[in-house]
Amino acid sequence: MTTQTVEIGYGGSERLTMNMGPQHPSAHGVFRAVLTLEGETVVAVDAVIGYLHRCHEKLGETLTYVQYPSIASKTDYVAAMTSELAYVAAVEKLGKIEVPKRAQYLRVLAAELQRIASHCLWLGTWCMDMGGALGGGATVFLYCIRERELILDRFEELTGARLLYGFHQVGGTRYDVPAGWDTKVRETVDFIEKRIDEYEAMLEGNAFFLARARGVGVISRALAQEVGVSGPLIRGSGVNYDIRRAEPYSSYPDFDFRVPVETAGDCYARYRVRMAEFRESIKIVRQVLDGLPEGPISSRPGVKSVGQVRVPKGEAYARIEGARGEVGCYLVSDGGPKPYRMKWRGASFSNLAVLPHIIPGHKVADVVAIMGSVDPVFGEVDR
Amino acid sequence: MLGNGGGRPPRFWGELTQLIGAVGRAMGVTFRNLFRAPVTVQYPDVKRAYPDRFRGILALTYDKETGEENCIGCRLCEYICPPQVIKVEMLKSEKRNWAKTFTLELYSCEFCELCVQVCPTDAIIMLKTFDLATADRREMLLDKDRLHALGLAYEPSWATGNRLRDMQAPPKPARAAAGGAKGEPKEPGE
Amino acid sequence: MTLPPLAWHALMAFIVLNAILGLVAYVTLLERKFAARMQSRIGPYYVGRPHGWLQPIADALKLMLKEDVVPTSADRGVYNLAPIVFLVPCILIYATIPFAPELGVADLNIGVLFFLAVSSLEIVGLFMGGWGSNNKYALLSAMRAVNQIISYDLPFIFAALVPVLLAGSLQMSAIVAAQQGLWFVAYPVFGQLAFVAFVVATLAAENRVPFDILEAESELVAGFRVEYSGMKFALIQLGEYAHMLGTSFLGALLFLGGWLGPGPAWLGPLWFLVKAVLVFLLVTWVRWSFVRIRVDQILAISWKLLVPASILLLLATGLWVATRGAGAG
Repeated sequence: MTTQTVEIGYGGSERLTMNMGPQHPSAHGVFRAVLTLEGETVVAVDAVIGYLHRCHEKLGETLTYVQYPSIASKTDYVAAMTSELAYVAAVEKLGKIEVPKRAQYLRVLAAELQRIASHCLWLGTWCMDMGGALGGGATVFLYCIRERELILDRFEELTGARLLYGFHQVGGTRYDVPAGWDTKVRETVDFIEKRIDEYEAMLEGNAFFLARARGVGVISRALAQEVGVSGPLIRGSGVNYDIRRAEPYSSYPDFDFRVPVETAGDCYARYRVRMAEFRESIKIVRQVLDGLPEGPISSRPGVKSVGQVRVPKGEAYARIEGARGEVGCYLVSDGGPKPYRMKWRGASFSNLAVLPHIIPGHKVADVVAIMGSVDPVFGEVDR
Repeated sequence: MLGNGGGRPPRFWGELTQLIGAVGRAMGVTFRNLFRAPVTVQYPDVKRAYPDRFRGILALTYDKETGEENCIGCRLCEYICPPQVIKVEMLKSEKRNWAKTFTLELYSCEFCELCVQVCPTDAIIMLKTFDLATADRREMLLDKDRLHALGLAYEPSWATGNRLRDMQAPPKPARAAAGGAKGEPKEPGE
Repeated sequence: MTLPPLAWHALMAFIVLNAILGLVAYVTLLERKFAARMQSRIGPYYVGRPHGWLQPIADALKLMLKEDVVPTSADRGVYNLAPIVFLVPCILIYATIPFAPELGVADLNIGVLFFLAVSSLEIVGLFMGGWGSNNKYALLSAMRAVNQIISYDLPFIFAALVPVLLAGSLQMSAIVAAQQGLWFVAYPVFGQLAFVAFVVATLAAENRVPFDILEAESELVAGFRVEYSGMKFALIQLGEYAHMLGTSFLGALLFLGGWLGPGPAWLGPLWFLVKAVLVFLLVTWVRWSFVRIRVDQILAISWKLLVPASILLLLATGLWVATRGAGAG
């Protein structure tokens, strides 16, 4: 907790309840935080979620294994590739379905490109929250979106869609690489690497930025492990846990990459973790392109009917490292073409649980900085 | 300086020079961007080139040689559509079946391309355009005539049912070796 | 002129007022285009192709035609009066700025003092707006504003007093005349430091990023302006940009030599405008490059860094002027 040395006392008893309501420029979606303020300091936070609930788990029961991957992308819509991957990984684990090597590499490629795109959005929106829609924040936001658009163009050439792809299917992927695409991806990734240097030049060492991000929103190592955060939040607090290393899936052991870990636990540490993840993802993308094997992209024939995939009775939980943390899908099957129960573990849902522990004691302006560094996407939170 | 007081002179000057350097770098980046060309594509005066696989609005096609409608009214697209926007009625006939009515509620369509993927005759496809904005939602309830007209009016995207299935299927020798006939829909997990 | 002095001043005031209103409207367009180019986009384009020349007029028309929504529980008198109390000082500062020798509404012999004093009055209107809106966000923003503007008026004044010391007079035309040889910004160390302090204090007094904690769109959604719509909002925007441009004019006059420039004397006002726009663009450039900082950090910068630094600078300048001897002009 921060130590407040001088408090401009408002008598200490005058508390203001302010609603950072669901409609708010920096709510990152629809999120309601009922803040109790003493002057400018937040004393308590009551988080209200559920404004984006769309019954994904029920949809998972009514749609078959063939139909649902396209819908799964709508949970974490900013990082749709990793969301779909969680679902199909769970189905494949349940049904013990083999995924061909080429498909695994394509999945890694999509996931890492998606991670870069998602972090571009994170950086842009975080700086916009901190710097205002009319100010330096908007500048960084537009630069990041400009770079993200390049990746979305690559995805558009691959699948035909820019945000919600429907790229994965049970047994592999739906789309193969078009001609000339890998050259374009290499060019894109080289270009983005240079632009990341520009962002770091704008932000790194910038006293204004450091003043907003350093020492703000510290998640201690113990708190991180107790509350159950994952992804850049837990790696920013000193715990070296990345599911791509801890429980590798989809050929990740074939690639050489570093898992960035910082110990400070504040917003700046999480920023550094994500900036390092940019570069590591670029490294992985290059390795995938160099080593992409030939072969089929799916171990199942092309989809011909809606009930084509059936898995035997059982249950499975698959977890993957999404851009925001651990995305998991728990499936219970009764042998039919639809799951009996699907439970979705959204990374942002568990990450948001840390807010009531770290926000009190900070100023109102820090609330947006912390929310931005936690980077929730409410499709995952409310499902 | 920002919160820990003036401090001893050397640290103060060090911080100050660092601040000036950072300010200069940040302003330099924005200044450099002043001279880069804007990335705006001024739609609708300028349209960007859509890739081959672009998933735009849906349409029904005619056969290239005979000019007949491709759709045989099999309703596979209706069953696979996740938001259930397609409604088809089949019209039986001696040589082949037809679709008596075919409605597609484009305002609820998710553009997931699953209907295109299952179509056995490449009847339903997606086009390389999305430009169907209207003030009346009823105009986006596409009936069969409208769908055929759209198919003739705009450029189709690359993806058709057979092409997608060929792309996804394991290569022919492997399938022959595995012994499963092509087109067996309900095989259990391998 | 053959007109009696009162009529002459009234005529000048009328002309200046209209010119300023038009200029302020187009300065918003300039800022939008400049910011857009820094962000790899185009900015206003369609209204009055090809560069959005009619955009300010379209915005003004739109604001005039908008419905004026007043919150039910707002303090009516305070709420309605606030935009006017905010706007009047922001326009009044132009009364003392001479645009050329003998061309100005009133070239007071305490010109700089009048300017600085009147420009600080906007804070009353600001606080009235925040209070009268009966909205917690607006109130929070108004309290932050009072904190910030009071803190930054001091370095603003001290930085503006450095050219006064160097010129030896508070009269604006005398300050420009004293820059015949060398602009004040070019004076070694004093000039540059004073200019930097002036720009930083301007940023803060104008509530521009990085000091725009007052409006902080991503937290407080427009701050004290949040409950205003239609023409009242237009008046507040007008006041803000007028104040912004006014301090740019002051900066150009105090540090960049006002209307001095190559060419015939009648080009003077043009040079003055160019310099003021340059100062404005400098402030805009800073605005679009940084994230904002928290209110306690803003106050820390002011009280711990800028106020001592600007006092020291003023003292040093005074010492230098005194040791240079009289007749420095």
